[in-house]
Formats: sequence, C-alpha cells, structure tokens
Amino acid sequence: MTPEEFIERIKEKFEVDAHISENKQPHPRKRAWINVDRTKFEDLMRFIKEIDPRAQFSIIIGEDRGDYLSAEYHLELFYEEEPSLSVIVATSCPKDDPKIPSLGDVFPSSVPYERENKEFLGIEFEGIPDPRRLFLPDDFPEGVYPLRRDDTGIKPEMVKNAGHPYKIGGGRK
Amino acid sequence: MNSRIEYWVKIPIGPIHPALEEPEKFIITLDGERIINVDVKLGYNLRGLEWIAMRRNYIQLMYLAERICGICSFSHNHTYTRAVEEMAGIEVPERAEYIRVIVGELERIHSHLLNLGVIGHAIGYDTVLHLSWLARERVMDILEAIGGNRVNYAMNTIGGVRRDIEEKHRRAILDMIAYYKNEIMPKIEEIFLYDPTVEARLRDAGVIPKRIAIEYSAQGPTARGSGVKKDVRYNERLGVYPDLGVKPVTPKEFTGVIKGDVFDRMVVRVGELWQSMELIERAFDQMPGGKIKAFAKDNLILPKLKKADGEGIGRYEAPRGEVIHYVRANPGKDIPSKWKAREPTFPNLFAVARALVGEQLADVPVAIASIDPCLSCTDRVAVVDARTGKRGILTEKDLLRASIEKTREINPEVSARPEVVGVSCPRGDLL
Repeated sequence: MTPEEFIERIKEKFEVDAHISENKQPHPRKRAWINVDRTKFEDLMRFIKEIDPRAQFSIIIGEDRGDYLSAEYHLELFYEEEPSLSVIVATSCPKDDPKIPSLGDVFPSSVPYERENKEFLGIEFEGIPDPRRLFLPDDFPEGVYPLRRDDTGIKPEMVKNAGHPYKIGGGRK
Repeated sequence: MNSRIEYWVKIPIGPIHPALEEPEKFIITLDGERIINVDVKLGYNLRGLEWIAMRRNYIQLMYLAERICGICSFSHNHTYTRAVEEMAGIEVPERAEYIRVIVGELERIHSHLLNLGVIGHAIGYDTVLHLSWLARERVMDILEAIGGNRVNYAMNTIGGVRRDIEEKHRRAILDMIAYYKNEIMPKIEEIFLYDPTVEARLRDAGVIPKRIAIEYSAQGPTARGSGVKKDVRYNERLGVYPDLGVKPVTPKEFTGVIKGDVFDRMVVRVGELWQSMELIERAFDQMPGGKIKAFAKDNLILPKLKKADGEGIGRYEAPRGEVIHYVRANPGKDIPSKWKAREPTFPNLFAVARALVGEQLADVPVAIASIDPCLSCTDRVAVVDARTGKRGILTEKDLLRASIEKTREINPEVSARPEVVGVSCPRGDLL
C-alpha cells in the first residue's frame, strides 16, 4: 500500500489533515503524516490496526508546545515489504486538561511509552493499564514534569552538579 | 496427612546483580521454579540526555547522541544525522553513504561478537567469552584506525561523513574479513550452530513466540529470531543498502526451523556476521569516488539548519534493532525544538519480560542476555536530581552527612544527634 492510498483510505472515514513527506536519500522514502483530534484518535488507531493487524508501534514523541501538549505516534505498517509504510499520527491536548486516550488494548507495546510520557510531560493517558512510574525514582516530587518548558518543569534549584552549559538562565552574564 | 502448601515468592533481580551487565531491575514472581510474572523497573542509569538536549544546538547534539551508547555509538549518531537531513532536505554524497555502510557494518560485527561472548559467559562457557572478545579486538583496531577511537568514532556529520576511507584502510578491512572468515567464523559456527551442549542449553530457553514478538514490537535479532522478517535497512530502503542487496536474516536459512528461543537469536547473530562481511566487501566493489560532505565547510551547516522548517524521522537498524530519532526544527534558531530518540532495548525488554512468564527461573539470565540489553541507551531520558553535587570519591563524611540528611528528611522529629565516638573519629568535626 502506498502512502497516497493509505491517506485516501483514512480520509474516507475520518476528517484529518494529512500530508506526505519525501526525503532526499538515494532511494527516496515517503512518510505519511496525519494530524487528528484527540476525540477521534482512538478510533483512528483502531482503524489503522484493521488495515494492518500486524502494525508495529515504534515511539511516542511527546512535546510541550507552549499552551498545549502534543503527542506523535510513529507506526510502521507492512514491514515485511519493501518499502514499508511509515506513518506518524499526531494528536494534542490543552495543558489544563492533559488527557489523551490510552492505546493499551490496541497496541500493548504502547504502554511503556505512555508511562514515560506521563512522568516526563504530565500527559494523562485515560485507561492506561499500568500507571506507575517507569524511569523516575519513586521519591521524585509530584507535579514536576522534567521535559515541560513552563513552571512545572525542572526548577533551577533542583539542578546540581550541572556545570556551565546546563545552567538555567544562562549563568553569569 | 501432608497437604501441599502453595505460595508465590517474589525475587528481585537487580539493579545490581551478577547476572546482569548493566543496572536494571526485574521483579520476578515465582511459583516454585516457574515464573508467574515479571515486572521491569528502569531508570538506574538516568543521565537526562533529553533535558540536556533542550540546551544544545544541532552540531553539539550530534556528539551528545553519539554518547547515548558506547557500543552502538555510530548508530545513534547516524540516525540523528539522517533525521536532520530529512528535516532540512539535505542530500548526502553517494560516497558518504557507502562509508556509512562500511562503518555501520563494522560496528555490527563488533557488537555481535560481544554478545556472542556474553551469552557464552551467561551459560558458564567462559572460553567463548575470552576467544570471541579476543577476535573482537581486530575489528576494534580497525575502527580505531578509521575513526581514531575504539568507541565514539564520530564518523558522521550532517550531510556526510567526516573522514574518508583510504586505500590502507581498505586493505586492513579486507585482511580482517579474510581473518574472520577463515579463522573465527568456523569456530563460532562450531560453537553456536553445532555444539550439542550449547544447543541443549539454549534450545527452548526464553522462547519469544512470533505472536508476542509482533504484539510487543520486538526489534532486531530478537524479532528475526522469532521469524518476523523485519530489518530497517531492508524495509526502509535506507541509504544505499538496496543496491547492496540486504535481506532480513532469519534462522530458517541456517537451521530450517524457527522456534524463537535463545538459540535462534544467536543463529541470527551468526548469520548477520556473515551478512555484514559480505555487505562490506560489496560496498568496496561499488563505492564511487567523489566528495564525502554535502557542505564545503562545516560552518555552513548551522546557517542552513537555521532556515529549516519541518520535522524529520531517522531510522536505522542498529545491532540490537531499530533506532529511531525524531527532530523538529525551530525556524530562526540553531537549537531544534524537539529531539527524541528511541533505542531497540526498550521494546525488547518488555517483550522478553512477557515471554519469560511460564519459563524456569534458571533461564532468566541467559534470556535477558540474549536480547543484548543496552541499558545506558534505554535509560537515556530523565533528569537526575543529584543529592550531592560532588564528583569523585565520596568520603565517609559525605556518605554520613547524606544519610543524616535523609533521616531528618524522612523523620524530622528525630531528636538524637549523631554521637561523637572516640577522639580520632572523623565524625567529630562533622556537624
């Protein structure tokens, strides 16, 4: 299935904005990028799993983008073919209501990534089967999300042994 | 009459354990010898790389990405540069692509030889460890000759590679391949394909069925050992790999059966050693001349990237499986607004933890070693809030002070003061 056919098939069922990118390798590689509202997100992922029941889940890229949090999911479909289909599905949530549906029952391999994004960015994955911390120690303070760029991020007084390049606020001027 | 008492036992393996190479914790619930449940806890090696990366520009990030892992440092560097090249639309010269293939495959050879030795060690066959690591020295020397370092060879730059492979390197690499093909590979095949003791130990141990490999997105030799034909070099049409005819290696081509156990994962690694050597030879045959960098001068890279707008994904088949990096540009700035990496051990750990359920406790070390876990990669992403800001060796005083602080923090009502015992006690001038 080419990325064009894939996006056509998605657009038959869902209202999404989508585009295709192509890089400049000797053998150019296309990727399908889809942006979807979080209310339709879970249905879309279920539909992708219907298209290829063996789709593999690679990564959740969570990011603080100012007033909202975004999460991009990379999936690879038809990976035994050449070339496979590389799909990036993006969704977002506002910071005052950081909730995205969990994919625990669609892609079981997504749970560790959801745990990671939960502790680092404070995105609540609704219905996550295992909400415990994964990387951070258990006595890490609540309400501090290290990769946020706002007040809930790492405060300057928490940074120790960080040397000059890490200094928050640029150090001495 | 004796009634049978059944109870479950929880055994923590790790964070520090003789059977593990790196800090990770598996909490194993046992019914007798049979494993009921495996729980994974990570984060004992956190360095906060992603947080550090929020303060680094594109060039500095290249070296940070390289230091994610010492064994597959080329892979992370390579994947990151590919992500940036995709983001900014940079075209890499063909000769640079071939050099990337050669260094990448050399790295795969050294990593697989390392893992073969580790497996030998895990099953108590230490001769294999010593001999395969001795053989590995040859490829490490080659990497040092090319890149100047045994690890972190810093071959990549955005838009190409930093060093050319010259005629003397070519001769040395071809000599090395001849040495491996004639002297090392027959021994390795003898041990890992035909030795009845090794087969008896590794067969049917730590089985990852194909269904679980797919469900938990296992990567690399772990997936291919279970019969999932997944190889990023093949299905991504990566660089010049399609011209070299790369195909996923599964145990079926060697032994005729796929069981998904530790033995099959080792067979895949042995097969990939052969494949890597053939790829290097083919790359030398086809390698064109010409330049090795897209940018004439290195200081042109950052201005070009400042103008970029977009996002890019780089994917590469590292020795342990798929590495994926994501970069999103921040127009007008030389710091990307997001860099994120995912390494293969992360999904593989959860796949093997799931697969261990129902197995014997004695198979745990070898099953974990068989995915070749690389924890410094996996734990890359967090902030370490170091309690003491000191480097070097902690003295008794420091440790004591830290423990007193901790006690007061847990229980502020403790009224006792640490006693001064004896005149020469170092605690005397502490508080």
